[in-house]
Amino acid sequence: MQAFLTNTWLLWLLSGTAALLWWRGRSSQLFYYIFNRYLLALGTLLLVSGIVFSLMEVLPGDCAEKMIAYKNTQGEVITQAQIDAERARMGLDQPLPVRWASWVADLTLKGDLGFSCAKRQSVNMALGDRFWMSLGFCIAGLLFAYLIAVPFGILSAWSLNKPWLDRKRHHTPLRRLRNSIGLVIAKLVDLQLRLISYLGLALPNFLLALSIILLYVFAGEPTPTGLFSDEWRGQPWFAEQGFQWGKLNDFMGHIWLPILVIGWAATALQLQTVRALVVDESNKLYVEAARARGIDGFRLWSRYPVRHSISPLFNSVGFDFQRIFNDLPIVAVVIGLTDAAALLIEALAMTNDQELAAGILFLVALVVIGMNFITDVILAVLDPRVRNSVMQAGGH
Amino acid sequence: MNALIARWRGQPKARTPDESYYTAGQFALIRARFMRNTTGVIAGGILSVLLLMGLFAPFFSPNAPGIEGANPDYRRGAPQSIHFCDANGCSWRPFTYTYTREAPAFDLSALAGGDLSALDAITSGDSLNASSQNRFVEQTDQRRYLHFFVSGWEYSLLKIEWLGIDIRSDLHLFGVDQGQIHLFGTDEDGKDVFSRTLHAIWVTISIALVALAVKLFVSLLVGGVSGYCGGRVDAVLMAITEAVRVIPPIPVYLACAVALSQIDLTPVQRYFAIAVVIGALDFAALGRRLRTHILTERNQDYVMAAKLSGASSSRIIWRHLVPSFSSYIIVDTLINFPYVILAETSLSFLGLGLTEPVNSLGVLLQKAQDPDIQQNMVWQFAPVGVFVLLIMAFVFVGDALRDAADPYSERKR
Amino acid sequence: MSINERISAPLLEIRDLGIDFHTPEGVHRAVSNLNLSLQPGEVMGLVGESGSGKSITAKSIMRMLPGNAELTPESRIRLHDGERPVDVMGLHGRDLRLVRGGQVSMIFQEPMASFAPAIRIGDQIVETLQLHTGVDYASARRQGIELFERVGIREPERRFDQYVFELSGGMRQRAMIAMALSTRPRLLIADEPTTALDVTVQAQVLELMLELREQFGMAMLFITHDLGVISRIADNLTVMKRGEVVEAGSCDRVLFAPQHEYTRRLLDALPHLEALPPSPAHRPEPLVSIRDLSITYPASGAGQLPFKAVPQMNLELPAGQIIGLVGESGSGKTSLGKALLGAAPVSAGEVHYHLETPIRLGAGRKIKRKELARVAQLVFQDPYSSLNPRMTVRDIIAEPLQALGLCRNREEIDQRVIEVAKRCHIEVSHLRRFPHAFSGGQRQRISIARALVVNPRFLVADEAVAALDVSIQAEILGLLKSLRDEMGLTILFISHDLSVVANLCDHVCVMQHGRLVEEGSVQQIFLQPQQPYTRALIGAIPTLRRPGQMNSVVSNEAGAHA
Repeated sequence: MQAFLTNTWLLWLLSGTAALLWWRGRSSQLFYYIFNRYLLALGTLLLVSGIVFSLMEVLPGDCAEKMIAYKNTQGEVITQAQIDAERARMGLDQPLPVRWASWVADLTLKGDLGFSCAKRQSVNMALGDRFWMSLGFCIAGLLFAYLIAVPFGILSAWSLNKPWLDRKRHHTPLRRLRNSIGLVIAKLVDLQLRLISYLGLALPNFLLALSIILLYVFAGEPTPTGLFSDEWRGQPWFAEQGFQWGKLNDFMGHIWLPILVIGWAATALQLQTVRALVVDESNKLYVEAARARGIDGFRLWSRYPVRHSISPLFNSVGFDFQRIFNDLPIVAVVIGLTDAAALLIEALAMTNDQELAAGILFLVALVVIGMNFITDVILAVLDPRVRNSVMQAGGH
Repeated sequence: MNALIARWRGQPKARTPDESYYTAGQFALIRARFMRNTTGVIAGGILSVLLLMGLFAPFFSPNAPGIEGANPDYRRGAPQSIHFCDANGCSWRPFTYTYTREAPAFDLSALAGGDLSALDAITSGDSLNASSQNRFVEQTDQRRYLHFFVSGWEYSLLKIEWLGIDIRSDLHLFGVDQGQIHLFGTDEDGKDVFSRTLHAIWVTISIALVALAVKLFVSLLVGGVSGYCGGRVDAVLMAITEAVRVIPPIPVYLACAVALSQIDLTPVQRYFAIAVVIGALDFAALGRRLRTHILTERNQDYVMAAKLSGASSSRIIWRHLVPSFSSYIIVDTLINFPYVILAETSLSFLGLGLTEPVNSLGVLLQKAQDPDIQQNMVWQFAPVGVFVLLIMAFVFVGDALRDAADPYSERKR
Repeated sequence: MSINERISAPLLEIRDLGIDFHTPEGVHRAVSNLNLSLQPGEVMGLVGESGSGKSITAKSIMRMLPGNAELTPESRIRLHDGERPVDVMGLHGRDLRLVRGGQVSMIFQEPMASFAPAIRIGDQIVETLQLHTGVDYASARRQGIELFERVGIREPERRFDQYVFELSGGMRQRAMIAMALSTRPRLLIADEPTTALDVTVQAQVLELMLELREQFGMAMLFITHDLGVISRIADNLTVMKRGEVVEAGSCDRVLFAPQHEYTRRLLDALPHLEALPPSPAHRPEPLVSIRDLSITYPASGAGQLPFKAVPQMNLELPAGQIIGLVGESGSGKTSLGKALLGAAPVSAGEVHYHLETPIRLGAGRKIKRKELARVAQLVFQDPYSSLNPRMTVRDIIAEPLQALGLCRNREEIDQRVIEVAKRCHIEVSHLRRFPHAFSGGQRQRISIARALVVNPRFLVADEAVAALDVSIQAEILGLLKSLRDEMGLTILFISHDLSVVANLCDHVCVMQHGRLVEEGSVQQIFLQPQQPYTRALIGAIPTLRRPGQMNSVVSNEAGAHA
């Protein structure tokens, strides 16, 4: 019984959640909506798994060949008949849909991503902490991008269509000077940032990483590649004398490089998005109406255009994550990281490890879909506009 | 451009719209609005210069880009600077100098004498390091003058194989008196980096063109079918698009490139195969947007008017719907140029796209990884600069065009 | 300063106001040399058509000009704040804030768009109150709810915590008024506050504004294009045209002894219910018969019910007449019009065109689109979206000819297009132009020309003049009349505007909730309405008040019948 439960735990979890949502959804519009979204997310995941699985068919070789090749290195002589027998044993002679179905079944029953033949261990084991590491990189990069893009995007939107100098005739000269200085500073910051962000779009991530490494080379400093310097790599986090602050320090000295590199291009894109969204909102009539009520300055901007453009910005988090992960593999190669993205490159370009690559791609898609699902739900709960459309779409 | 000059002069010219404005079609209006955007115009100028130089690369490059044009006497050579003045006075005609290779730095005679410490010095120091083998010094007393419109290596100006047309020429924009000129230096084979960069521009652009054409075709198919049919077809297509959208594209390109590398292809076939892969897998975003566009445009009053006038479906599609998003498609294509180029370079960078001896920006960029080049041949980073300039120009032009693209955005009050 | 002087000191004084717009094409003067003064408690009507500069004038009082607009140096705007006059031009920071929303409040045309969608309505009112009076949240909230009660919002506490999209149109405008009044302003600027509302709601809102003006004693600057509305509420009028004042004076003087030709034209465009055309002696044969027609829109998404826009309609449209189809928004009048052209989903019944070769449309029948297009055509409401911006006027007008293959060659098409263009008063030289070169009225002519080019027998004009200014409306209406008289065209004129219908139509049908309430000749409907709903609609028409009549919104029977 216990073995049965441990072998099917994920299925129970998934269907239990679905049942709970459906049950609540009978009496509540909101839960009905969440239930629908949940089913949609699962359906998309199924499609993704199909696409990923069939994509991996194009990679050369299969598991049986790798297994036999491994034996070959052990000094055994292999015949074609043996390869075929191995294939039959592994079920690789089955048609694609059957193999896919069994992969999906394993996945939904117990979260098992299959077995990597090249690494000769299960995909879950091979990935281990590395996936969390990649996730950490991407989220840190995303945060970095948002931290820069949001305030400066708003500044950029604010200074759009503003003149460089205050030439209003009815202002006193002192006031004109003060305004002009403020405007010039804002405009310059905006211009600078836009140039930098365009550079971020134009300079591919790997070139950026290379240039930074090159700077270290010229300066004669040790390059901050990898996650730790040699000195600290082998050390545990907790030694006898307590927490190793030195290791943390060393870690921080290395971690900024990948985050900066993957964050930059994302910042550039995000800056433009934020700017467009805020400009859009600030041209709406309700902002003018608020101004006519005497609300102005920081209070006006923060409460009206900015507040109303948060939802659409938040809505795109999932795809921003996908875009950042997209860049990560090549950056990982350049910087010498050992996370899941590097593993992905290795699996695709070197060892042709279909199972591992499929597992990583599927997990990334899972995170993106999961993020989209969560943002949808959060917005439906928090944003009255979305909530209203949810309630109406239910239409009872 | 006139508006630009007027703005510099600081005279806001009072102009009432005249007949030419009233009878201007959509592309004329887009052009007029684009011309008002200063950064866009400047970036457009830079872009067209780069594109022209890429398109007529053989004319602009003093050396053949392949191994046949390599300069065996100037391997790993630094860029040669161009002067107008030096200690011997000035000249209107720009000139450069003759370069001679420096003698090997180590003393072979000491080695012959059996001095082991000399051998030690040679092996431990970096004198055996590849870079120090070729070190060139300027002979400032030997000027070599630059000449324009000279004849040099022969290239084909226009070649259409199936028509048997092959116009050949050997005219080049510039060259020097004796030997060859290397503005960006040379690589380890002595190939001219400047010439390679110029040739690479067009290869990369043409890959992007093919990729974008494929992308457009697939997007139109998906978006058009989905938007026009609606219903179940729409639901299924959009579900697939949504699923494709969440998978990061570069790993997918990688997988396809690996698969391609298994097939025995000529460089040209490989080149097209990569372009097609990049284009075909990138339909999700544009396809979705075209679908929404068609859905909204389809419900516009003027389409309804055409329908009530008895116009057939094909007439509505070709007369009303297609023109309504043609400008949008052009702009979107231009905005996507940098991303497609980046995808190509990323693949080449990993050694899975185009490879040596093909000249593409990705191939040239890949060299930047090499520690030898990073430390001893910094001039091989010159293509990076050209690349960044090209992409920036595309991005700025794309942005300006996007702002100018919808001349009818003002129509709603 | 004596008491008398203080009373006579104007609340608002505008001298030599000029506003310049800096556009890429050059400097464009939107308002020039405008003088205006407003006494405390006075209601001033600012009348003009679109582009006359009336809204921008109002915005300049609050110093809310857009970035590319600038006041000319000689402009003066003074606000007399109790004791001392305040120069609005010199205000900034806190002082400006106190004027905006404090002493001067504004009501906008579209209440839906003027409330922030993601902030509760109550919170926006509380925010304004706290900003200007510095009271704490609880008492601001109490005051706000009290105001909601006073402007006639039922269940004020619940409404206070709702978002703007949860209220109905009339309710939103009431909430907007409550918000504007919350700080007890001395001047209320109302920019077309009733234009976007249905007639009956419009009457209620106007009534409310009059009432509140009595209670609060504030002055009002009422901006509108509708002389009927303004005559009910204003003490004085200022008429603007292209940024200049053409006439100003007391309401009675301007309305009943207009000096300027432009004012007269505006007045002529108003409905004159006294002088309705006599109905023809006998009713002509019907051109179109509608029998048991039902229109049902299929469910738009999962879990939604199909929507029945029109259940079982029976109607005959007399040939050679202009038939007005009236009703408030959502009454199904547009669906009916589209069904006649085979563009709405008919679920039961049929439409029968009585022609030499009869055409029948109905549930289950295949629409013979080409035959129908030769007989019946549509003129759209929005002259902007109904013309393809990427085609020249000539191509637009020629489209039906080409689509139906009615002409053999280019010359024939050109000849026909020119013929129709002349009939619709479009200059032949303009045929080369694109639609962006034209104003709304001219575009509507193009739209009509396109409909006429195939020589149809029947025209559906769906709110065809609703988006146009009054004086341009009159031209289009004249064109439609001449088409009826000269070509014998039958026109179904769909409109929410009863005054237009009264001026134009021979026969009127009134619809409500998808059902036909009443039909009859114009005289019957407007002078002897039988049904209470019709009476309410007609009672709510903002007709010109009679000379010396006291300010009141509803002329005869109160339209409390929404």
